[in-house]
Amino acid sequence: MTTPITVPENLWDGDGEGVITAWLVDDGGQVNQGDLVAEVMVEKAQYEIEAPVSGVLTIAKQEDEVVAKGTSIASLET
Amino acid sequence: MAVPLAISSVTLQRPTVEEGLLAEEGLLEMVCQGELSLGWLAWSPRDRGLVMPRRHERLADFPEARARLAERGWPVRFRATGGTPVPQSPQVINVALAQRCRVGGSAAHLEWGYHRLGDPWCDWLGHLGVADADLGPVAGSYCDGRFNVRIAGRKLVGTAQRWRRVRGCRDMALLVHGAMQVEGDPAELVAVVNDFQAGIGDPMRFRAERHIALREAIPGFQPETLDTLLARYRG
Repeated sequence: MTTPITVPENLWDGDGEGVITAWLVDDGGQVNQGDLVAEVMVEKAQYEIEAPVSGVLTIAKQEDEVVAKGTSIASLET
Repeated sequence: MAVPLAISSVTLQRPTVEEGLLAEEGLLEMVCQGELSLGWLAWSPRDRGLVMPRRHERLADFPEARARLAERGWPVRFRATGGTPVPQSPQVINVALAQRCRVGGSAAHLEWGYHRLGDPWCDWLGHLGVADADLGPVAGSYCDGRFNVRIAGRKLVGTAQRWRRVRGCRDMALLVHGAMQVEGDPAELVAVVNDFQAGIGDPMRFRAERHIALREAIPGFQPETLDTLLARYRG
């Protein structure tokens, strides 16, 4: 089963975009539910993104890529 | 030897830049672990440094720029909040507020976090006799954002945040930080940031006249007055 990792919808108002500032796990890495996997910056705020489930990470958006709210930035294969 | 900073003290503390940044991360972690629901740190470094998010390390010319600044007495340090390079020195006072927030409510918005720190700061400035303090962007200032504390349109306080989930539940922990130049000429600090800009080959330069130090607006300001700002963050 594939579970997406998305940028939260309720983090900020308006249509501004964020940027992926860091992946904390390599592509193909095994993560546990709740592990920190990435950081997204928007409006000078660093937001930590956790793995919603345990699984193998496939990164879809690279560091320094621009992302909107709700964007799927990676997936987890369980 | 480093002494741990006191959480929610109304006395201004004087750590090194590195100790202050570590204390802020520790404060956020205390909220994440459920040890606190609200706390703050007020500190002014006793040394100097140019502080930035770690992603700047990926810039091609970063190692040379870092070495150049270190030679001039401005070592690079990394912080957990977002934004771009900001100088820290004994001329700067920092206030960091950490708070537990319920996800799904208005507290989940970044805007709420900036107002949580910035609105009382503007109110405090008004109490000290500054009539034209507000929140907003300052074009031409370093580390600009939409929620600087401004005096007459010039940047007094730069603000930034970090959000982390509270362990074992859906609540979030917010760390919101403000850095305010209190004394000295803003041109000295702007020059440090512009030096870094030159070192990494970025053509953007910042303008000293877009910044203001607190003592330009309040010549008689005493750091002890800070307790009346910190009191505004209780509850």
